[in-house]
Amino acid sequence: MPVLRPRQRWSITLVAAILGVLVVAQLRSQAANPGLSNLSAQELTLVITNVSTRNEGLRAEVAALERRVASLTDAHDRGESTLGELRADLAALEAWAGLTPVIGQGISIRVSGQIGGEGIEDLLNELRNAGAEAIAVEDVRIVPGTVVYGEPGGLSVENTPLADGFEIRAIGSPQILTGTLTRGGGVIAQLEATSEAVTISVTPLDAVSIPASQRNLVPAHGTPSL
Amino acid sequence: MTAVVDRLRALPSWQVTLTGALFVLGFLIAAQLSAEGPRIRYTTQERAPLIETALGLQDQQDALQARILQLREEIVDLEGDEPGSEALVRQLNAALEHARIAGGLVQMTGPGIVFRLEDAENPGTERDALVTARDIRTLVQELWLAGAEAVSINGERVTTGTAVLDIGNAILANSAYLAPPYEVSVIGPDDLYERMTGTVSFVEFVQSRIQPYGLRLSFAELEAVTVPAYAGTIRSHYARPDPSASPVP
Repeated sequence: MPVLRPRQRWSITLVAAILGVLVVAQLRSQAANPGLSNLSAQELTLVITNVSTRNEGLRAEVAALERRVASLTDAHDRGESTLGELRADLAALEAWAGLTPVIGQGISIRVSGQIGGEGIEDLLNELRNAGAEAIAVEDVRIVPGTVVYGEPGGLSVENTPLADGFEIRAIGSPQILTGTLTRGGGVIAQLEATSEAVTISVTPLDAVSIPASQRNLVPAHGTPSL
Repeated sequence: MTAVVDRLRALPSWQVTLTGALFVLGFLIAAQLSAEGPRIRYTTQERAPLIETALGLQDQQDALQARILQLREEIVDLEGDEPGSEALVRQLNAALEHARIAGGLVQMTGPGIVFRLEDAENPGTERDALVTARDIRTLVQELWLAGAEAVSINGERVTTGTAVLDIGNAILANSAYLAPPYEVSVIGPDDLYERMTGTVSFVEFVQSRIQPYGLRLSFAELEAVTVPAYAGTIRSHYARPDPSASPVP
């Protein structure tokens, strides 16, 4: 076994050290969330704001569910019925899922002119982002699976043609919904800028009525799994 | 040829080791550079604590989501043990299960497709070569139109309130931060893929977004695709059941 000279040893040690650092860096960059390291400080702040807001909502949900578990456990221990709570849970769940009609504060949006399905879907996406709790396009409740599609002048939703000059209604904070849609550079400004022939107006309302969905929302090809 | 082999054999072993190590080093440097190259890299010092905060919040989010799913299971069990009238309880529980499935609160497994949508291989500084929230929304809309029944994006269930937004070169779905590549899992009829690819709007999407900018769209048709349950809040602050509607039994 030949004995290495100090200089040779140093060369190998140096290369091995650099190699080690690079292997670790490569593995860590793959293991960590790959997207975050590509965001600017401003974008990271936006991510933090969004995730924080969502976490607040999730904490509130956890707290509500824990109360519900405690209440049900307590009632069971005392042999009491909770049918009233069950009914209330069911009514809230069906309303949220789109199975029953809902009412509440919100906005009405009047859309007219040459706008395609993609533009309307951008508008609906922004409404959801602003916290809309229920949305309808004319008399069609917007639920998973419902898409407004078609070229300008030929829009449809759930096989129902939309006339020029139709209404979108949404339940949620009228101030937040209106502010989000109508802000400078917001979705309405963008849609109107891309087509001069499009007019979109927003009206806050104290009472908005949204119908139930007519879709079958239970997957026919899937089964519940743990 | 024999002379070359003899010469190689005559080389000291440390030189062979060093040469091998340098090859690996070169490979790793190239891999590191190519991994960083396609996307803009920011190096301001303020980012490190922000990334740490964001990662911490995401860990919290994962834990909260897991807790929500666990509590919902407990509630389902407790509601099943309701001591009231057996027939009425059964009816109510069946209606609750139906509403939970309809709302996306239950994990589903069934035949379907998993799509993978990725940025172009070498996007450079071309923003159009990166997958955007609108691309994801378009793909999901095309799937709905083709008959999809349940959809998730990187594990986030698409529900009635799901917004998909751009954030830097990534997206937010249900306010959860999702980084590329994006996997869209979908349950639907056996001919879902044929139905979708046969539409003019999907062909236009491929011709106007996927092909010209080199975005990579791949898919696998599977007998069992799992679409996870929505693990978010379902509390309504403004919407309430319409009292004029038919009452719950």
